[in-house]
Amino acid sequence: MTSQNTDHRAFALRLEQRVFSEPAETDPDLRRRMGERAAGGSPIAAPYDALAHQIGEAAYRVSDAQVAAVRDMVGTDRKAFELIVSAAIGAGLRRWKAGIAAIEGAAE
Amino acid sequence: MRLQEIDTGDTLGSRLLIRFISTVSGMRLPDAARVAFYHKDFLGGVLGPWTQATMRGPSSWSVGERELMAAMTAKWNSCAFCVGAHRATSARSLTREVVDAALSDYRTAPLPAPLIAMLGFLEKLTRTPDEVTSADARLVLAAGVTQDAMADAVAVTTLFAIVTRYADALQFAMPTEAEFDKAADMLLKRGYA
Repeated sequence: MTSQNTDHRAFALRLEQRVFSEPAETDPDLRRRMGERAAGGSPIAAPYDALAHQIGEAAYRVSDAQVAAVRDMVGTDRKAFELIVSAAIGAGLRRWKAGIAAIEGAAE
Repeated sequence: MRLQEIDTGDTLGSRLLIRFISTVSGMRLPDAARVAFYHKDFLGGVLGPWTQATMRGPSSWSVGERELMAAMTAKWNSCAFCVGAHRATSARSLTREVVDAALSDYRTAPLPAPLIAMLGFLEKLTRTPDEVTSADARLVLAAGVTQDAMADAVAVTTLFAIVTRYADALQFAMPTEAEFDKAADMLLKRGYA
């Protein structure tokens, strides 16, 4: 098999920078903590903790109440959306890094 | 949909677009597309292009095989919406019979051996990412998959680790099987960008 590959590493890095470091409608530090928590990191403040942890572990079990609590705290749908997506991306990039590390290790 | 503004659209342009596509296609525009139209300043320039490149760009995996990896990742994450969407899309080229056999047990499904080895790696990466090792990767390489092809597959599973999580956290509405089939045509024709 050969592949003229997409530069996935550059895309992953760009995504990480955009979501966790750059300005949007929520504080980048809060987005980063949502992402880290969903990737298995330490607990964060309520009500963010329950939602981020649930998104990381089993998103199909997220409840209306978990989303509503964060939506009420931040005040807009856009801000709640940013935080939900940040948690999802934290969990996803954890898998990207683990997968790429294993592939690179196998080549050594 | 747990955030109402995603359902209706957050700009006049997106509201008109949602209405137009729904009318032309004869079905409610799936929530996955509504999210892609929403708050585009945040992720529009990043997540969509990576997904498009991963699912439709150059790769030694066929589009059908990549769609199957997406469906399998959705299954391992228990995301019914994403299983439905990518089951229908992968079935367009791999057949419904093969895709359903893979969703039942990919190890015994009539798939090429390199793809089965790759799916084993992706399942472990999805379920227990911290336990994935270079020994796991070497098994896939030994099955004839290149490092570049492995990276392509890991990108699929990464992106659907993300999509399945926000799909379920936002509680995407479930289309019917006929609607998933119709949406598969759109996904193959228009892609993800």
